[in-house]
Amino acid sequence: MRHRHILLLGLSLAFLPLSVMAEDEEAAAPRAGLEQEAVAGVMQKAVDDFVRPGYRDLLEGTETLAEAAHMLCVKPSDETLGDVQMSFDEVVQQWSTIEIVRVGPVIEGNRFERFLFFPDRKSTGLKQVQRILATNDETATSAETLEGKSVAAQGLGALEYVLYGTGAEVLPTEKNGFRCRYGAAIADNLKAVAGELHAEWEKRDGIQSAWKSPGPNNPIYRDGKEAATELLGILVHGVEAIRDQRLRPFYAGIIKGVPDKGHPKMAIYWRSGNTMPALSANFTALQTLFNTADMKALLPDGNADVVTAVNYLLQAIVDDLDEIDLPVEEAITNDEQRGRLNRILQNTNDVLQRLNLDFGAAIGLSSGFSFADGD
Amino acid sequence: MAYQTISTGQILTGRRTFLTMAGAAWAATLAPQAAFALSRTDAIYASAFMAPDGSYGVATLTEAGEIIERVPLPARAHGMTWSPVTNRAVAFARRPGTYAMIFAPDDSIEPIVITSVEGRHFYGHGCFSADGRVLYATENDFTGNRGMIGVYDGTDGFARIGEFPSYGIGPHDMTLSTDGHMLVVANGGIETHPDFGRTKLNLDHMEPSLALIDTATGALIERHAMPDHLRQLSTRHVDIDATGKIWFACQYEGARNDLPPLAGSFSRGEDIRFLDLPEETTLALANYVGAIAVNRRDGLVGLTSPKGGAAVTVDARTGRVVRRISLADAAGIAPAADGFVASSYTGTFGETRSRVAWDQHMVRVGKL
Repeated sequence: MRHRHILLLGLSLAFLPLSVMAEDEEAAAPRAGLEQEAVAGVMQKAVDDFVRPGYRDLLEGTETLAEAAHMLCVKPSDETLGDVQMSFDEVVQQWSTIEIVRVGPVIEGNRFERFLFFPDRKSTGLKQVQRILATNDETATSAETLEGKSVAAQGLGALEYVLYGTGAEVLPTEKNGFRCRYGAAIADNLKAVAGELHAEWEKRDGIQSAWKSPGPNNPIYRDGKEAATELLGILVHGVEAIRDQRLRPFYAGIIKGVPDKGHPKMAIYWRSGNTMPALSANFTALQTLFNTADMKALLPDGNADVVTAVNYLLQAIVDDLDEIDLPVEEAITNDEQRGRLNRILQNTNDVLQRLNLDFGAAIGLSSGFSFADGD
Repeated sequence: MAYQTISTGQILTGRRTFLTMAGAAWAATLAPQAAFALSRTDAIYASAFMAPDGSYGVATLTEAGEIIERVPLPARAHGMTWSPVTNRAVAFARRPGTYAMIFAPDDSIEPIVITSVEGRHFYGHGCFSADGRVLYATENDFTGNRGMIGVYDGTDGFARIGEFPSYGIGPHDMTLSTDGHMLVVANGGIETHPDFGRTKLNLDHMEPSLALIDTATGALIERHAMPDHLRQLSTRHVDIDATGKIWFACQYEGARNDLPPLAGSFSRGEDIRFLDLPEETTLALANYVGAIAVNRRDGLVGLTSPKGGAAVTVDARTGRVVRRISLADAAGIAPAADGFVASSYTGTFGETRSRVAWDQHMVRVGKL
């Protein structure tokens, strides 16, 4: 029987220390703990082996894309258009890798939205792009003036419409046409944003330093726990974002025993056929960050199963995505490909639980990452 | 803490009150252990929780933290409120949630679940009108990127009967003035959109404010923006002391090694004044106050920080810290018979630890 202090309960007793606190019949599970000494090394690897290379690749990719886009305007042909489209695919891959990092400079100054405005549920972005094309709005043909327009008109979604949307057939034939020059301006804008992100992460006394050295004077992380929690947050939020913003909008899985009819045009990059490659790059990036940063070093002994499970599930998701080769609207109605989508959704939920609850608990977040995510 | 605090005299007479009212009948339906706990407590609280299997619910508890009853919830809840007049309590879904569940702590009604209307979601807090007949909820007009106050009719199944602006972005906690004529709303100033989950979309251009709103007309009475150098200080939670002074608590989105003020107070017609906490207290609160409560009788203000693992008690009159304790994953806080009772994500509530994760807020539902 527990001891009772109701009649004496005062300020001091209401705030009893845990050591003298009675336990309910169901005792709490013992807490795991973060391997504090591993944090700095993990953060260093995350920065130097994942984040910085990610933004460097993105900058290089956008430079190539911008060059190809300008060349298309000067020398329009099927070949130069193909170069632009190939560069576009490459930038989609690079962005889909580094976009899982939704903290730091990318969420400042609307950089994320300027690079990719998605989802566009009410087609507000699409309508603005179409208006620019319909009116030959010359202010959209230089990166400097384009930056002042809606973010929806200056990123990857807008460029995809320029390259693959209605009216794109003029691109290989029309020299210095409006549509091409608008596309080149978007590519220049992407290069500029990527350049800013690269520069921010390369500053030695900037964010990379803050990530690598948690401590009392650090502007981002006061201690190892805060740093490790945020790193885990990238993975948890990453999986949530992919599931809720990229997968479910076009296919929600089995609902009450019946497969979702789906909304193929809600799929990201459906016009260019980059939906599955982008999703694959998203999940590959999560696995790469997890392993490259050596996040298992954050866990106390005896938690190897969590690492194995996370890797197994992320790899299974990527393997399934890489096998979906039909256009989205056909994949949803094809039994074999839809089965893969169902399994992807199932594994996505599973890996989210593994990261949120199991990994979170193992590094000392008693109720998982999301529960302690604040509000 | 968005709840109506009843007169402090009722705190110690709560047990007698509820045992002579509907509580007696309710007690007869409880398991023997819960009935025993109920018979010995002087106050009852309610808090949302997550169970070990990942399911969610709301529980009533004794002052010592013994669970009296649990009610399942469809999804995670956040803030709570209670009307002492009608004995209705509400658990609001955590943002960007779309439900709120109304229940009677003594189980005298079937719980009512309401859902947010199209184009809105709940922000996790709300409060009743003085007579308990109207429920107000903080909501997000995410297309218009503006905070709203949803108005629900407590006499008609909590049907939504209107709305008015919160006069800011990202309204979070709200409470009712002591005279019942004014809502106090903490507009956190952070833009979110359900398409982007819980992502904070405007950390580099936040607009936090505290708004006083006329309950009769929905008109703005006063609006207090944060000073320019504290634009990243998100005003999140509010409560009111016995003199009618409004107390607010903040979460700072700026540099982690800044030491911004984290709480303050003001009365209608006055400028806001920040609490000048000692540096070690500010450090202990980790730039993040998760909950605030006022003990009106004792003139105390309680603050908790899950990130800092701390619970702090401040003298409302002098602003002096009278107590600071370490409490890992500190969550809710509410007035107790003397001082405060606090809970935690690790299942601590007062002197008991249960195998649940208590959510960020609790409410005292003393009259049963």
